[in-house]
Amino acid sequence: MRTFLAVAFLSGGVAHATLGPALRIADVAPDIPLIVVVMLALRRGPEFGCGAGFLAGLLQDAATGGLLGVQALTKSVIGFAIGGVGSRLRVSAPLVQVPGLVVLSLVEGVARFALLQLFHFPAPFGELMTYVVLPQAIYNGFLGAALVLALSWAESVRERSS
Amino acid sequence: MRIRALALLGIVAGVCLLLLTLQMRGHASGATDLLALFTTPVQTVVSRINRTAFGLWSTYQDWKNVRAENRRLRDQAQRLRVESLRVSEVDDENRRLRRLLALKEALPLHTISGEVIGREWGGWVRSLTVNRGRSSNVVRLTAVIGPDGLIGRIVDVRGGSSVVQVLTDPASTVGAHVVRTRTPGIIEGEPRGTIRFKYMARDGAGMQVGDMVVTSGLGGLFPRGIPIGRVRAIDDRGSALFHYAQIEPAVDFARIDEVLLLIGDATRDVAAQFPGAS
Repeated sequence: MRTFLAVAFLSGGVAHATLGPALRIADVAPDIPLIVVVMLALRRGPEFGCGAGFLAGLLQDAATGGLLGVQALTKSVIGFAIGGVGSRLRVSAPLVQVPGLVVLSLVEGVARFALLQLFHFPAPFGELMTYVVLPQAIYNGFLGAALVLALSWAESVRERSS
Repeated sequence: MRIRALALLGIVAGVCLLLLTLQMRGHASGATDLLALFTTPVQTVVSRINRTAFGLWSTYQDWKNVRAENRRLRDQAQRLRVESLRVSEVDDENRRLRRLLALKEALPLHTISGEVIGREWGGWVRSLTVNRGRSSNVVRLTAVIGPDGLIGRIVDVRGGSSVVQVLTDPASTVGAHVVRTRTPGIIEGEPRGTIRFKYMARDGAGMQVGDMVVTSGLGGLFPRGIPIGRVRAIDDRGSALFHYAQIEPAVDFARIDEVLLLIGDATRDVAAQFPGAS
């Protein structure tokens, strides 16, 4: 499990910057760290989600050359929130996962924009939402659901073999 | 537990905001460098793995694309080749018909055009079947010509078709003369598919390879001056009464698709309508 977590952190923070471009579809890349943080928070609770979000976001900030702390903050908040309410959500169904991740991605996008506004980020909100945040949120929704399915399949295979 | 979680969130948020503030004031290079110490090697490794994996994938994709494209281009080349042959065929036919039409209009004779619908190319008989017969007022012994010269004569007339005995038929004989020397003689077909010019020794003096042989018009069957061929070789038989010359036919009999049948008066001289007959 610890190995899995380490891999998840790395894939969340660093691999996003390197593998993300390869997963681009029509210039839209998924936010892998967000998906990983949400998955971890759902399994391990708010503290873990917050820590995972902070670490993954910080690594992402560092890897992408952005302002250190922006994504660390938004993702840690998301991780904390999902970790807190996760037990009350029926997240095993893909019909919940896809829209859930879409909404979370939108919230994270809006939060990041709001935070960056404090530091005079120049991009207009409408365009940013239309061309960046919304397409990425939809992509995240489907990719996240696929990852959840793959993970539960892998776990069932492991349980059967052990 | 809940307080601890909230405290963690508070600390995290505080650290983040501190980092942001420091960066805006230009004091966060240390933190960035520290993180880069960790992220750069990991990124390098991941990137290498990524590049290798995607490189292999990309090579495979390229190979697949090249294969598909190769198949597509081969199909396209095949289609274009067929199309090109078709166009070339139509072009050839067009050219042939134009020549035939030009000849038909130039000749001072009544002619009808016919299309070759059958060929008999064995050594015993060499003939063509054309799609003109009794219904088109074709009669036996009608002369048949092409844009290049004489082809033969009608030997059998049917309702809607006729059989043309071509010059190379072993039974074919046509009165002819050499244009330059006026040497008269007879063009005979040979079993091997060639034609020869039979002439009397005393008349053949001065005949040379390359001389043009045309119909003589004697006998009233063929108009005078239709090209038959050029002398290819002269077979001098010494004191024999008749000598022979091998003739290169003016017409390529194997490639005839359209012909003109000369209907009616055939006593005119048509040499002027065949530029090569001189």
